[in-house]
Amino acid sequence: MAVIEVKNLTKIFTVYQKEPGILGTFKSLFGRKYEEIKAVDNISFSIEEGELVGFIGPNGAGKTTTLKCLSGLLYPTGGVINVLGFQPWRRKADFLKKIAFVMGQKNQLWWDLPPMETFVLNKEIYGLSDEKFKKVLGDLVDLLDLSDLLKVPVKKLSLGQRMKCELIASLLHSPQVLYLDEPTIGLDVVMQKKLRDFIRDYNHKYKATIMLTSHYMADVEALARRVIIINRGRILFDGDLTSLIKKHAPYKLITLVLKEQVARQKFEKLGKIKKFSYPEVVLKVESHLSNKIAAKILENFPVDDLNIEDADIEEVIREIFQSQNE
Amino acid sequence: MPTSKKLLEKSSNLKMNKYFQVAKNTWDETVSYRLNFVMWRIRVVLQIITLYFLWLSILPKDTTFLGYNQSLMLTYILGTSLLAAFVLSSRSYSVGDEINQGNLSNFLIKPINYFLYHFARDVGDKSMNIVFSIFELTILFLLLRPPIFIQTDPFFLFLFLISAILALLLYFFFNFLLGLVGFWSPEVWAPRFIFFIVITFFAGGLFPLDILPKSVFTVFQLLPFPYLLYFPLKIYLGQLPLFEIFKGLTVSFIWLILMYLLVKFIWNVGLKLYTAQGR
Repeated sequence: MAVIEVKNLTKIFTVYQKEPGILGTFKSLFGRKYEEIKAVDNISFSIEEGELVGFIGPNGAGKTTTLKCLSGLLYPTGGVINVLGFQPWRRKADFLKKIAFVMGQKNQLWWDLPPMETFVLNKEIYGLSDEKFKKVLGDLVDLLDLSDLLKVPVKKLSLGQRMKCELIASLLHSPQVLYLDEPTIGLDVVMQKKLRDFIRDYNHKYKATIMLTSHYMADVEALARRVIIINRGRILFDGDLTSLIKKHAPYKLITLVLKEQVARQKFEKLGKIKKFSYPEVVLKVESHLSNKIAAKILENFPVDDLNIEDADIEEVIREIFQSQNE
Repeated sequence: MPTSKKLLEKSSNLKMNKYFQVAKNTWDETVSYRLNFVMWRIRVVLQIITLYFLWLSILPKDTTFLGYNQSLMLTYILGTSLLAAFVLSSRSYSVGDEINQGNLSNFLIKPINYFLYHFARDVGDKSMNIVFSIFELTILFLLLRPPIFIQTDPFFLFLFLISAILALLLYFFFNFLLGLVGFWSPEVWAPRFIFFIVITFFAGGLFPLDILPKSVFTVFQLLPFPYLLYFPLKIYLGQLPLFEIFKGLTVSFIWLILMYLLVKFIWNVGLKLYTAQGR
């Protein structure tokens, strides 16, 4: 049985428009102009237990809105949502005890107190036994390598350390379903990788179902086999990352390093030139021709090094969005 | 069935535990701003001392002012000042900011009651203030030996305590209600500011309300405000007949229920809006 089941979910926001300035404020007191924004437009998907799904889309695509609907923070305008057999918007205690929603931009830690105090509070909120609390906390602290920071006030922690603590606070009750909204936002590359490893380990170890949104494709690439791509509230793609590349990017990139100068025109017949700055040349060629073209290049040009790669996933997705926006 | 009873006990224990932890964290939080806290206490003490000497000079011994002799007036003025620090000190104003900044979401996705959470914070805050107040007052009392009225009748003290708790709850809901403005407007401070000025006057924080013309005072008594400061203090002073005390307790209890229902209603309406719009 699917853990998350979404059918024809639609979410419409009514926002009122206000002209800038005092006059605008005055006007808005009397006649307000309302506008309807379809943040999520009739989407359906289902996620099985233990799956780790990447949720990708540009700003304002409807990612966070969807997650908020799935966690019960937003009331859906239309459609049916079922998470662990619950309707999220009812926010039943039994449901809330089984989920967690980590929002990269909102913190639950008590700013002036050491993270341990927030953890203990969450222990009580979720009604965890002492043994369970100790065990889970120990595991999480090990996974995140954080033991010496539990007694330092949160305000003295770095952004990355704080994010780790936020994660621990959200995971103490071992949620079966975990929503991560931009968990790596604002972190440096090393910390991003650490968090990524942690999420992967957590997924394996606890068999938790995880939905993850991120601006960084690297996050999604590293973690999720399955991705759901959303733009303007609609699902553009739902499936394996590899099939996404096959479907939307039937081309490969040949990168070569030249030994000596070759005229640019000579490459134009072979494929689309993506980059030409001596000694490096990058060609975009159709997937099924890539081997032949590579052989031809090696035969005809003074090549030092040659490399055939899959299309860059980030670029593929950018192209999908661009083609849709046009 | 002893086991099910035990389980029930355990679950209710756990439920209270979370609010106890909230109160404890609030306590710790206050201590973490040591200087801030010390300054706050100094402010309270200075306020009491200033008021004390002001009224001591206005009302020399053996004079009466609108029916109050020196001792009673001093007790009233200092008493309201103290009671105000205890009753009119709810932190539930942060409800408005939490709504506006969207941090309310953090509470909505947890199995915790948002009202009780804020009430627990208040309890943490107030208990700390009470402990320090008792300490400071003892010192002040020993130093100044003021001619204030000490109520010794346990019956009046008990009724005073009841009325003070009703006042505290009533103010909690008022304050919470003002925070709920946040569902509709980001400007949660202006209404609070006006409210606070109005309430200090109407609650009898400036002078005893019974020196007002009788008709005005009668109307006042139907409002919830006098029950915040004036009424508990009058009980303490032992100036109210039993009938008046029970009438007052009933009125303030009715107000408390009305306020609770109102806050609950507004909260539900606001929450619908919040979960419709997101933040």
